[in-house]
Amino acid sequence: MTHRNTISDQSYSVVMGGLATLSVAILVGPVIIVLLTSFTSSRVLTFPPPGFSIEWYRDLFDPVRSGHIHSALANSVWVAAIATALAVVVATAAALAMARSNRASARALEASFMSPLILPGLSYGLAALMFFSILGFRPSINHLIAGHLVVIAPFIFRTTLASLTQFNPALLESSASLGAGRLYAFRRITLPIITPGIVAGAFLAFVASMDNVPVSLFLSNARTNMLPIRMWGMMETTLDVRIAAISGVIIVAVLVAMVVMDRLTGLTRRMSM
Amino acid sequence: MNQPLPVDQGANAAIQRRSVGEPLTLDGITHSYGDGLAVDDVTLQVAGGELVALLGPSGCGKSTLLRIVAGFLNQSQGHVKIGERFVDSLPPNRREVGIVFQNYALFPHMTVADNIAYGLDARGDSRSDQRFRVEKMLKTVRMEDFGDRKPGQLSGGQQQRVALARALAVQPRILLLDEPFAALDKNLRLDMQIEIKRLQRQFALTAILVTHDQEEAMAIADRIAVMRKGRIEQLGTPVEIYDQPETLFVNDFIGSSNRFEGEVLGREADRYVIRLDNGAIWHIATSKTFSTGDAVLVTARPEQLVLVDQPYDGAFAVERTLSLPLGGTLIHDVETPKGATIKVAAPRRVGEAAPPLGPTHCALTENAAPILFPKSAG
Ligand SMILES: Nc1ncnc2c1ncn2[C@@H]1O[C@H](COP(=O)(O)OP(=O)(O)OP(=O)(O)O)[C@@H](O)[C@H]1O
Ligand SMILES: [Mg+2]
Repeated sequence: MTHRNTISDQSYSVVMGGLATLSVAILVGPVIIVLLTSFTSSRVLTFPPPGFSIEWYRDLFDPVRSGHIHSALANSVWVAAIATALAVVVATAAALAMARSNRASARALEASFMSPLILPGLSYGLAALMFFSILGFRPSINHLIAGHLVVIAPFIFRTTLASLTQFNPALLESSASLGAGRLYAFRRITLPIITPGIVAGAFLAFVASMDNVPVSLFLSNARTNMLPIRMWGMMETTLDVRIAAISGVIIVAVLVAMVVMDRLTGLTRRMSM
Repeated sequence: MNQPLPVDQGANAAIQRRSVGEPLTLDGITHSYGDGLAVDDVTLQVAGGELVALLGPSGCGKSTLLRIVAGFLNQSQGHVKIGERFVDSLPPNRREVGIVFQNYALFPHMTVADNIAYGLDARGDSRSDQRFRVEKMLKTVRMEDFGDRKPGQLSGGQQQRVALARALAVQPRILLLDEPFAALDKNLRLDMQIEIKRLQRQFALTAILVTHDQEEAMAIADRIAVMRKGRIEQLGTPVEIYDQPETLFVNDFIGSSNRFEGEVLGREADRYVIRLDNGAIWHIATSKTFSTGDAVLVTARPEQLVLVDQPYDGAFAVERTLSLPLGGTLIHDVETPKGATIKVAAPRRVGEAAPPLGPTHCALTENAAPILFPKSAG
């Protein structure tokens, strides 16, 4: 009895340990490879790098030789920032309204609000492009922002709704019995309690926008060049090692941001909600 | 019992702005959720400074009634009056009704002091007034050293003190308590019951306490309203409810009691003569009317019964199956020849041990006042 248990216990931990190691390798491996490659002394993307050099980072930060990359980055950051700010307002309002109602219509609305997460990005990009051309608009940065807003709002909506469902309604009743109005209660109770959820969602949304290819592909033009698209273009034509350097910068920036946010809000816990 | 705290006079006067709490009147309150009737035509007058306990089994509508008074629910019918004013159309934040929930519902992201100051800040008191009042309230509930803690860092009893202080800080006209002790262990519960009673007296608060613990209701309520299926089954002082239950439901819900079946033989002076099915003849006073031949139920509390050695016409034969000395009381379990179990409680004299088991007889004590119910009520 005991013996059999021990064997099955052991095989369980061997299998689970193996799977865990494998997943970590698959998840982290490429990141490490890209980081190592970005310090190569070679002129082309190769692994393993033949020698060490920071030449490509110097190249990347040079405003003359990498000006087009800098402007694409500026575009991407601008679009992501504005779209995230708008999405925070829209998604928080939607989550508040939906958490309060338990009607079937609210459930349906919730599903439609989440649909950009499920819908293939390319179909959505094409749909958005056609929609804007039917309305007679020409591609501009505002349309990019609008397009991104739709695909990134669900991230904020989801985390905010999650923090609202854990919200004890008796808190608002206590507040009312103490004489406080709704606005006061929102400012002093609801908002502070759901803010970590909103912030976590906003972080995810910002990253999702920075990273978005399909929507940008359809809605950007030569002047509104976005970073992921520019990187893709560089890949196709030259296999430029600066792509690895850009990736390196982004990876480090995201890691630093995550650590900071985790300290502030317990982000990693909330992202999984 | 605890002495009122030596709070300094100025602060006390500020807190006790109202020397006597305002009366609360519930008039024909009815409420249904969809098709189920949760509160059914409840009329209740709570005098200023009085504490009334709503007592009843789970689901009888106690919380619903409380939420109607607080304004969280709008009743389907009836009126709520506080003092001289109907409050039916007032939202909860303008009713000045304080409430303490079973799980306290403290604001988790605020310190204890900020929790207590919440209502004061909401109505726009100045910072210095807030600080002054918070300090007084902390002192009142003996939590002076905890102002900077978050609720998560407090024990259950401490959280409850904070919830009370928070509710009392804004000087509510009515205080509602929805099972405030349910989450506390037994010893702490007793402390908090005394504490709440003390504060309620000190501030002359008009209060309603919801509970399904009859001992708790007996201990701290001025009057008890026993509820059943959305209605008030009986309203009275704890002693009235215990000694003169008007219905079998109240009789069974409060304390323990024995039940006998019998028949009305006739009337002698102010008492009905009842022959129990076990053969004993009992003379019982009641305000109800019965006719000769009516089948009746008789209930008697364990302390109204006594075991006797010699048979007589007021006693019936039993077999003693168990005797337990519980502190100052001897509890006997006796069995009738038909197999029904009866509980008898008698004061235990010093040194007296449980008597040997075996056949004996059971009768009423001298001053016993058993209750008569028509058989159809059971
Ligand atoms: N929000 C609601 N929707 C529908 N029915 C409800 C709702 N709240 C309570 N009820 C029903 O109304 C009745 C009274 O409920 P209430 O909560 O007032 O009981 P209670 O006496 O407080 O019980 P407990 O001692 O368990 O707290 C119950 O039958 C309950 O199922
Ligand atoms: Mg209840």
